[in-house]
Amino acid sequence: MAAVPRRRSGAGVRTTGTRGAGPYLTYLLPAAVLFTVVIAIPLVMNVYTSFTNWTGIGPRQWAGLANYRQLLHDSEFWASMWHSLALIAAMAVVPAVIGLIVAAALFDVIAKRFSPRVASLLRACIYLPQVLPIIVAAIVWGWILDPQYGALNVALRDVGLGFLARDLLGDPQTALATVMAVLVWFQLGYPVVIFMAALQRADPALGEAAEIDGATWRQRLWLVTVPQIRPEIYVVLLTCTVASLRAFGWIYALTSGGPGVATQVPSYYAYQSFFTNLDVGYGSAIATVMTVIIVAVSVVFLWVQRRHTAGDTT
Amino acid sequence: MPRKTTGLLAAAAVALAGTLAACGSSGGSGGTSSSSSNVLKVWWYEAPGSAYQIAWDQAITDFKKQHPGVTVQFSLKSFDQMQQNASMILNSSDVPDVMEYNKGDATTGLLSKEGLLADLTPEATKYGWDKLLGPDLQATARYSPKGVMGSGDWYGVSDYAEYLTVYYNKTLFAKYGIQVPTTMAQLTAAMNKFVAAGITPFANAGDDYMAMQYLYTMELSQETPQQVQNYERYTGPVNFHDTAWTNAVNMFQEWVKKGYIAKDSVGLTATQAGNDFETGKNPMMLSGNWWAGTFESEIKSFDWGTFLWPGNTLDAGSGGNLFVVPKNAANKQLAYDFINDTLQPDVQKLLADNGAVPVSASTAGVTNPLNAQLIQNFQTVANGNGLAYYPDWPTPSFYNLLLAQTQDLINGSNGDQVLSTLQTSYDQYVNSLG
Repeated sequence: MAAVPRRRSGAGVRTTGTRGAGPYLTYLLPAAVLFTVVIAIPLVMNVYTSFTNWTGIGPRQWAGLANYRQLLHDSEFWASMWHSLALIAAMAVVPAVIGLIVAAALFDVIAKRFSPRVASLLRACIYLPQVLPIIVAAIVWGWILDPQYGALNVALRDVGLGFLARDLLGDPQTALATVMAVLVWFQLGYPVVIFMAALQRADPALGEAAEIDGATWRQRLWLVTVPQIRPEIYVVLLTCTVASLRAFGWIYALTSGGPGVATQVPSYYAYQSFFTNLDVGYGSAIATVMTVIIVAVSVVFLWVQRRHTAGDTT
Repeated sequence: MPRKTTGLLAAAAVALAGTLAACGSSGGSGGTSSSSSNVLKVWWYEAPGSAYQIAWDQAITDFKKQHPGVTVQFSLKSFDQMQQNASMILNSSDVPDVMEYNKGDATTGLLSKEGLLADLTPEATKYGWDKLLGPDLQATARYSPKGVMGSGDWYGVSDYAEYLTVYYNKTLFAKYGIQVPTTMAQLTAAMNKFVAAGITPFANAGDDYMAMQYLYTMELSQETPQQVQNYERYTGPVNFHDTAWTNAVNMFQEWVKKGYIAKDSVGLTATQAGNDFETGKNPMMLSGNWWAGTFESEIKSFDWGTFLWPGNTLDAGSGGNLFVVPKNAANKQLAYDFINDTLQPDVQKLLADNGAVPVSASTAGVTNPLNAQLIQNFQTVANGNGLAYYPDWPTPSFYNLLLAQTQDLINGSNGDQVLSTLQTSYDQYVNSLG
């Protein structure tokens, strides 16, 4: 990284700056207050509540680790954790892989053979689901997938493929896979846009050189382009993984975690425990566990990424 | 990425996850703050246009006539808003004087246990509410010190009742030559006729309260009143593997298998099931009398009526939602007067005329035969002490649990396992009560 030495040369200026840091620190104050009120205090309260039994009304009763012990033996919680892994696949892994291929195809093929405008138009179309409010998109998908009147089954019946019509969201065998498919549709636009921006940044000379050396399109994508846009891939994977662990709106509006617990996820389970089961302590315990997992995932991602980036610069 | 950013991103991740925990404190108490002695603050969450709203508007009008110097401040709330913020609202200084709240242990029972509601026992005697409401309806108005309904002090008053009934499409019944069934055998024969004609007899919603109410109604067919008390009020042991529950689970699954209830109703909501009845897709629907007003205004293409579930002496039902008075209410006396107004004949008549069941359960002057039928059927149930409350009342988590378990039953899960799951959860909660 060429920029690193230049940044270091600025260190002297920074040292001078710290002598009079007081005025600058005041600029941090609004953010610090917001952070304390919106994040730190609720987080501490949440962790504290997770060690209590509380209906949400009246005094909290200290329960020690009881809520966490209950979590260990709760099959619904473990089912929801497994479903989280499925959602990571649907919201992070699959969209990143397909997104990479689509972005490369738009950038290398469509933009060059047709015109950059066509590529931009297609990119916008693929990104469109990301602009929709989740609840609106989920309700519309609920209509499309309605077993009796839904567009999908009606269309299948109309073209004589009625035997394929299924209650996709109502059958525990297909419910999770269906939710995953909808999530891929929703999430795909995000990596495509990020990767297309990254491809603009990549050095075209490297690809051209590889092409002259006889590398195929797949080899160039995998061996030349991907290493260059690795930082963007990490960002996409990290943000999408965190988003998938927090996935709530889709489950809330599409399946309510059902049928049975076939599509239950921790965030929805925490919500149910909080507000309908009136077991606020237990809901807090689920939220706390998810917080720990999300922070751990983030730290691991960033650590791996830094190692790779450091490896690139040396 | 520079090291500093690592910390920031980790903090952001914490923030994102923390939001989940913090989302409980959204919303606010709303309303304007005024604790003057000539203001009555009334909150409820019944939809505009419903029988309750029409009747309670009349109660406000009556109240204003009796109290010329008093201003009534009414706010429309949502139940979720009330439930999620109840302790915040009721502990604040800006509380309503009288508000609607759900009946049952997990709602009004909980508020009463925590000392957030005023004890209405003296008023119940003074105004004669204890005479007006029969024992079945009093059950949901009175709560023990532990917050268990059925006995103890009065913490709320309902001015209407509700129960489950079968709605049926008279036009389709006539088309297939089917009489209103009075026995289970007749109902089965009727359903077989519909199935043979390619029609699913009953509308159902697996992703809502409906499916569990079918199961409970089937269970009630072999239940004794004492067992209902044990189940709802923890007065004795509850065995989910007894004949009543076992037969109910088997019967429910058999109904799905025979096509009396559609398998693909598993993911439907109550609104969708209601639409299926309204469009004539399903000729019958078991649900609460709260649908009557909607059907009366929306169904134009066929005649419909109601009948009680054949063969049952016990039916799901109870007093309606309660008017409660918060402990911190500024003008309790005005609140009591307002509650009393909701029980007066003119308000009760409006409830009856709009498809609700007034606590007086009087059909006098009710011109719409559909409404008169609803009230008569309620009388039949209530006179036989047959109100059996609702299946999800015993524990706060039973609604979600029963919903998921009935979905599993529709999808063919092992019935015995479902009953074991219910037993474990039920026992766990009852033990936690001490």
